[in-house]
Amino acid sequence: MNAGVSAKGDLHWLTVADAAAAIAANTLSPVDLMKALLARIERLDPRLNAFIRLDAETALAAARVAEVEAAAGRLRGPLHGVPVGIKDIIDVAGLPTTAHSKILDGKVATADAVCVTKLRQAGAIVVGKLSTHEFAIGGPSFDLPWPPARNPWNTDHHPGGSSSGSGSGVAAGLFPMALGTDTGGSVRNPASCCGIVGLKPTYGLVSRRGVFPLAFTLDHVGPMTRTVADNALMLACIAGHDPLDSGSAAAPAGHYAAALERDVRGLRVGFVRHFHETDVPADPEVTAGLEHVAHSLQMAGAELKDIRLPALGEFGAVNRIILQSEAWAIHGPWLRSRPGDYGQLARRRLMAGAFMSSGDYLQASRRRKEMIALVETALSEVDVLLCASSMDPACRIDISADVERTYPRQARTPFNVTGHPALAMMSGLSSGGLPLSVQFVGRYFDEATVFQVARAWEKASGTDKKHPPIV
Amino acid sequence: MDKATMETLARRAGLDKALAEFPDDVAAAAKQAADVAAKMKAPTDPAAEPWPPMRAGDDL
Repeated sequence: MNAGVSAKGDLHWLTVADAAAAIAANTLSPVDLMKALLARIERLDPRLNAFIRLDAETALAAARVAEVEAAAGRLRGPLHGVPVGIKDIIDVAGLPTTAHSKILDGKVATADAVCVTKLRQAGAIVVGKLSTHEFAIGGPSFDLPWPPARNPWNTDHHPGGSSSGSGSGVAAGLFPMALGTDTGGSVRNPASCCGIVGLKPTYGLVSRRGVFPLAFTLDHVGPMTRTVADNALMLACIAGHDPLDSGSAAAPAGHYAAALERDVRGLRVGFVRHFHETDVPADPEVTAGLEHVAHSLQMAGAELKDIRLPALGEFGAVNRIILQSEAWAIHGPWLRSRPGDYGQLARRRLMAGAFMSSGDYLQASRRRKEMIALVETALSEVDVLLCASSMDPACRIDISADVERTYPRQARTPFNVTGHPALAMMSGLSSGGLPLSVQFVGRYFDEATVFQVARAWEKASGTDKKHPPIV
Repeated sequence: MDKATMETLARRAGLDKALAEFPDDVAAAAKQAADVAAKMKAPTDPAAEPWPPMRAGDDL
């Protein structure tokens, strides 16, 4: 543990790994950590709106139990006593799952989602439920029962979505880790906007049971943290086969941190330049950031190679057709009977599925298989792909035209379509002081190599030491 | 998509209430669907199968 950090009272910037190690060594009290974070939440969350529901008393009680257990040497697991925030489409027993919407009528979850169960088994303490775009699709919206989350780097700006509260809260030091979900980029978008590390794992690696679905064949649960090592640690705790999730992969959980500190000499990195150069031309600062990451990896010994994949517009169309068709199957009954209980953005986006034909859906699903083969071919030539995540820094949250313009300017949907693991993190800061982003993509179930490359960039750039100036 | 076609499809989908209360949102949804479908390329192989692959279940 970095004792200097905690001695200065900066417990809120402790990493998951450092906090867990200090708790295990009885040099940090889980109660002190929780109290420090609750005080920060009380001070900052009125400006950030990361929480839909803070569960402070339960969290503090759990921290007291964790303290007694740690003192007795009875550690539950590698996250013992470490607080975690949960996106509010994921069930936590005893708390309502709202999906940031009126529609679910505050229905209280009777059981934890599998990913939450696994976090608790590892010793993590749930601190509360976090803002999302309505049903993980409609936002940022100002016509819902709760306000949208805001970006801690500049609260006038969007924190990305749909795992908005997760991104905002991790970046602001309200909690060191959070769960998000990603159907069209919803872990990686807030990671990009808020300058943290967000992973969409391989499709099926993390159980979706107990998570309100958006689109069955595109939904992923993913870890959101401030460091790459923490992300690997969190993934190790939530990954694994779930026989009761029909989309769960049979592959065994891997050793995700195995290559974290290994250098990248000889690693083949495929740079997908056309995504941000011609498909959706990026902001020049984003382009410069990507070139800087590529150059840095090359200087560290990686072999760089240009890779071509189908155009972003086509990936986006396939993603949207599948997503909106599957989402319509879920939301159709409510949209027929209670359209006014949705916010306008969710209503518009979810109703689009009513106008898609079975032919559209099947053609998209057939094209999807061809796209998977093309990405697989690329990943047989290189070990990992490097590409853009967001094409712009976060826009202002209150200018809907800017949100509409920038939202689709991204390169995340390809890997929901194909199911490959994809990690977004900071590439640097814009001249306006907002995070810029980069994305690394790996072979199926090879999250370890994705983390290896991400960690190499993190070490070279110090992105894990860059925090928003909010106080 | 013209207005009459949009309204026919909306009613067929059971969106009468939305059509009455939020006609602009229904029209916007229809336009989104048409725009996105137009951007998709057909599979190159006429025999291409969809993803996820069809699998026999344990109960067959």
